[in-house]
Amino acid sequence: MQPTIHIDEQWENDFLDTIDRPTSCSTWKQYNMAINIAKENIITEFEGLQAPKHLPELTFHDYQYEVARKTIEEMNGKAILADEVGLGKTIEAGLILKEYMIRGLVKKVLILAPPSLVSQWCMELNKKFYIPAVEQRKNPQWEAVDVMVTSLDTAKRERHSSIIKEIDYDMVIIDEAHKLKNKQTKNYQVVKEIKRKFCLLLTATPVQNKLSELFHLISLLKPGYLGDEDSFSNTFKQKGSHEELRELIQKVMIRNRRHDTKMDWPKRFVKTIPIHFNDQQTSVYHKITSLKEHLKQESIPMQTAFLVLTLQREFCSSREAVYMTLKNSVEKGKISPIIVENQIVPLITELNNLPAHPKAEKVIELIEQWDENEKVIIFTEYRATQLYLQWYLNQKGIRSVPFRGGFKRSKKDWMKQLFQNQVQVLIATEAGGEGINLQFCHRIINYDLPWNPMRIEQRIGRIHRLGQEHDVHIYHLAVENTIEDHILHLLYKKIGLFEGVIGELDHILEKFTDSGVQEHLSSIFSKSESKGEMKVKIDHLTSIMLDNEKEGETHASS
Amino acid sequence: MHQADIHGFLKDFFIEYDCEVTDFSDSSLEVQLTAEIDKAIMNRPFYWHYIEKMNGLASPMRLTFETDSTAKKSKQTEVIHYGSPRLHQLFSFAMSKGKYGHFYEKVEHAASAQSLKPWLALNGKLVYQCHKKKEEFFSIGLNLINGEMINDFHFLLKHWEMNETISSLCFPLSPLIRPASGLQRIKDQLIKKVHTENHQWAVDAKQKMEEDLLLLERFYEEIDEKPDCYKNEKNAIITQYEPSIHLNIINGGLFYLSTHPLDN
Repeated sequence: MQPTIHIDEQWENDFLDTIDRPTSCSTWKQYNMAINIAKENIITEFEGLQAPKHLPELTFHDYQYEVARKTIEEMNGKAILADEVGLGKTIEAGLILKEYMIRGLVKKVLILAPPSLVSQWCMELNKKFYIPAVEQRKNPQWEAVDVMVTSLDTAKRERHSSIIKEIDYDMVIIDEAHKLKNKQTKNYQVVKEIKRKFCLLLTATPVQNKLSELFHLISLLKPGYLGDEDSFSNTFKQKGSHEELRELIQKVMIRNRRHDTKMDWPKRFVKTIPIHFNDQQTSVYHKITSLKEHLKQESIPMQTAFLVLTLQREFCSSREAVYMTLKNSVEKGKISPIIVENQIVPLITELNNLPAHPKAEKVIELIEQWDENEKVIIFTEYRATQLYLQWYLNQKGIRSVPFRGGFKRSKKDWMKQLFQNQVQVLIATEAGGEGINLQFCHRIINYDLPWNPMRIEQRIGRIHRLGQEHDVHIYHLAVENTIEDHILHLLYKKIGLFEGVIGELDHILEKFTDSGVQEHLSSIFSKSESKGEMKVKIDHLTSIMLDNEKEGETHASS
Repeated sequence: MHQADIHGFLKDFFIEYDCEVTDFSDSSLEVQLTAEIDKAIMNRPFYWHYIEKMNGLASPMRLTFETDSTAKKSKQTEVIHYGSPRLHQLFSFAMSKGKYGHFYEKVEHAASAQSLKPWLALNGKLVYQCHKKKEEFFSIGLNLINGEMINDFHFLLKHWEMNETISSLCFPLSPLIRPASGLQRIKDQLIKKVHTENHQWAVDAKQKMEEDLLLLERFYEEIDEKPDCYKNEKNAIITQYEPSIHLNIINGGLFYLSTHPLDN
């Protein structure tokens, strides 16, 4: 076949003009210099990476180099980069982008990162890769800027998205791409509309709950690669089709784990600290549990069960969290006045009389054991707890800063700065778990335990990542004989969470086909009438998960 | 380009473009920029605009470059390595200044009047592009009297001494082939060469394109009225894989030579 040939005609016209006016010609030396430079920069092979030559000050790990090579040569520049948290996906993406830019295949680039990481992306691309990336400002010049970094939240605003979708991008990079797992969301629709030749999706957790999430991610990269949605779920629900799926996925997704990188990673020490409620607290916990009976008579059982479950979990975190939820439910009229009067009001009084939360006391005890400047991140699921803790630590003379997903980018940067330079403790809510890199800190306290074990991995990944030089210590706080205990014993322990092999966890979740772990758990905990029933159901759930894993032997993407 | 070559390049570059260069060591040098170079590389248009409007006395920058990253250096020193933006700035400046040549072979002590034959030189690259890209350098010389064509023309000539004016007792022969048709001959030659090549890469790219398009069709099979993203995705796949070849010209010139390039 004969590809079309394009000829540079501008030069020819200029040349013929110049011949008539020899004075504007180059000197012999200049003429030679131009040829030498051109020859120096010529790239004579389709294969191989040029970028490392241009970046002598950066050292790439073998696996990172391999990711870049594979993405470009085998996957044709469309890939999901799904290394475990902290292995340097940004570096890999930067290397790929640089290679394409050096080869002149990519010029116009859009990078979508979580708001808290936008500045960091810009800085890394500029400083490490000499890629002139620009952070989107108030009035972004979408057309004029070649390499733009912004957040999905900004890009999806109508006034921006209408411009963005008209631009022909050579490459689109999406960080924390698991935000796109649901095709119904605005995020997904916006990304789908962006015109893009090459595309990198970065996520450490390509599957959080359901296999269909992966289907949607891949359909963004290569629509139709796994068929359409119906045929996908029909085909891959059946047992025995996993191997086939695994092979397919391998061609569009690269995943490295810590233990296959052959590097000496800092160790991870995980410690579970049991917390005891005193009699007074235990009695309140039981009262919360018994609300279930009272509420049952008047509202929809499922809703009630869920409310009580929430309150139980919240009470294991802080009474403030319980108080907020109660207040909201009462204000929204979800609870009848009789129950409010007879049950809720006395409960609130009792809450008010409780001493400090034993978890908060434990936190102080832990911090006091360490060196004075030993930084720690405390993760909690509840904003009320976050506020309470900040107040409580302050009472004890320990300064802390809060961190939430909802903070503006500048505030996040500021909080991170403060944490790094001035204060000892950072208290983050769940939404703050993603997109901050805090390698200078070596300790994490999981103040309460999330349903979805993947979240624990994301939390830990904030500090256990490339660039961490110390061993990492993780503390799980769980109140004995409460719902937390169930989560802990029945679920986390079964799937080996605390043996530090959580890297395997996503493996288990990937195998765990089309129903959400989270939904299952929530339903088990709220519907079960007794502890026995709960145990049976969870045993069943975990055995399905583990069985699935054994069947597959090798992992869907390794 | 090795670090040592970069030092050499910097020196050659700045000297060639009339900057005053002070060599400190094998890896370090100081340069007093000229106004021309300052404007080209220092990115301070407002300064220059101001100076020119106010008829002020311009003071172009003084820069220190270091090519050994391990060497001790002061804050003002710029470390230069192969990928640094500064180096590529100099590269593109040099490329833009070295595009067109008009040279006469230097003839020393000609005993009698000597004729110089006109040659047309074209240096460039053929760029093979699909979702991947590779380039191939070419340098072709065409004798504008008899139509003889020589490959690697520049390679043969690069160490010769050339002048921008003709040596005494020499006279140029007028071309029988006009430069415009000379260029056409060279291009025809290149196209002929391209046609004889094996383009398996293009066949492979086309096949990949077809595969991806087929998947796309299946994905939207059930939908009668195709949405915009279908069209976008289709176009994206086509632009991603579509094989093409580009003929890019680096530079070229008219050469008046007394010696035949292959005889030297």
